[in-house]
Amino acid sequence: MADYQLIIIGGGLSGIAAGIRAARFGRKTLILEQHSLPGGLNSYYFRQGQLLETGLHAMTNCAAPGDKRAPLNRLFRQLQLSRKQFVLHEQLGSEIRFSGRTLAFTNDCRVLEEEIAREFPAAIDRFRLLRQEILQYDPFQPGPWRSARQFLADRLGVPLLEDILLLPLMIYGNAEEHDMDLGQFVIMFRAVFEEGFFRPSGTMREFLELLVNQYHGFGGVMRYHCPVEQILVDRGRIRGVRLAGGEELTAEAVLSTVGIPETIRLSGWNLPPEPYCGRMSFMETISLLPSASANGKEWQHSIIFYHTGETFRYQRPSSLLDTSWGVICFPENFQDQTPSEMRQVRVTNAANYSLWKNLSSSEYLSIKKQWAAASIRASEEVIGTYQHAVVYQDSFSPLTIERYTRKAQGAIYGSPLKFKDGATPWSNLFIAGTDQGFLGIVGAMLSGITVVNRHLLQ
Amino acid sequence: MTREEIKDVILEIIADIDEEADFDHLDADAPLRDQLDLDSMDFLDIVMELRKRYKLQIPEEEYPELATLTSCVQYLEPKLKDV
Repeated sequence: MADYQLIIIGGGLSGIAAGIRAARFGRKTLILEQHSLPGGLNSYYFRQGQLLETGLHAMTNCAAPGDKRAPLNRLFRQLQLSRKQFVLHEQLGSEIRFSGRTLAFTNDCRVLEEEIAREFPAAIDRFRLLRQEILQYDPFQPGPWRSARQFLADRLGVPLLEDILLLPLMIYGNAEEHDMDLGQFVIMFRAVFEEGFFRPSGTMREFLELLVNQYHGFGGVMRYHCPVEQILVDRGRIRGVRLAGGEELTAEAVLSTVGIPETIRLSGWNLPPEPYCGRMSFMETISLLPSASANGKEWQHSIIFYHTGETFRYQRPSSLLDTSWGVICFPENFQDQTPSEMRQVRVTNAANYSLWKNLSSSEYLSIKKQWAAASIRASEEVIGTYQHAVVYQDSFSPLTIERYTRKAQGAIYGSPLKFKDGATPWSNLFIAGTDQGFLGIVGAMLSGITVVNRHLLQ
Repeated sequence: MTREEIKDVILEIIADIDEEADFDHLDADAPLRDQLDLDSMDFLDIVMELRKRYKLQIPEEEYPELATLTSCVQYLEPKLKDV
């Protein structure tokens, strides 16, 4: 008999959600996490006595408890967590700053509509029709790839407005360069513009604790510091995994959340990894400064998406970092949050993984520092100067992401080609998480749930 | 299990799945999914919970038997008679 009915590789959000489902219905389940903490990309760490989060800017898909069809509430039901007891903080308001134009938006899509009516009066009727069409579109219906850019061009015919709408949706959830699958665009449009941003109460730590406690409550086992070195194949079936250090664990089924390229490497899957390596990676710089030095009018927003220059090119940059566009997040600027003495600001820009990878270890730190400074300077053009007041600063690069999440090339949104059915050539090895198809925190968790429901519970 | 007990089990399972479920105006002969606004994922949970509690294997082609509260009781009565 196998040691476990299900082994899940990766204790990130998709892995934990999958684990909760399997354990809830009595499957003997083990989650293997390489790091000392859960969360994967969306985790936390401590520096100078301060808890700093790694991935989370905000969660998308904000919804009130009563709305049963809302993705967030479906997620809570599936995990058997009480939505009523879950306190969330909605965004105060966000902005898209695009080559001199500004569009504000909140969790009420009418605000965005009014902004478009003001900035692009000739296009407002077309935008309203577009919104209706998006609400009626079923993005979960299987079908061929369709260009979101073409869809927008046909309906709006205003390239600048099309770019403006794409900027936040691509930054927060597009694995492809240049264009976006229409289904993915519809999911992101609803998640960001219709439903909107929120943060869970407290930090990512409390949210992860809620999930991990639920998993343990159902009898699930989680082991940390357990990097998987190999997925063991025996006569056409997956037998289990081998950990770094040599320990072997057997399982009736294995669920991998480490992405397609890494799953290929671990299992010896006869598939070229390159097409599944996402090219979009990012560098983020987190700055901490006293609240007293962070009270300008630009510091009242929740999130600012910015772009300078003419057309928006969502692609791997030709330099280490592209500071001409990015996102600035103020995690404290969400409703009803207790004010603290220190404020955070996080600035994220597209980065070129290969160039970062080619740096020698002796130059890596100084170059990271240099580009962090460039990123801060670019953000100061948007929100005013603040570097002088910063008491602590830290950055993560594509290499940091790859090391902690095993997402090949630090591609936070994973492969541009998804395995939507979660299946592999082995009948008892499955893929969940970013490379299965749903992105973001809510999406990753729904992915874990969907794959377990489809392949392991029925 | 009596018919009444089976009915209570079903309602208890649904209440567990959905803390917002409101049974006050439930029509036992109308589809549960529409009345309670349940989706297919919630529906699967009813099946899974029955399996977990009573080792009941309900094949997918028989899911329609669980459409209403009355049809649930009808369908489950012979299967749960010794429980």
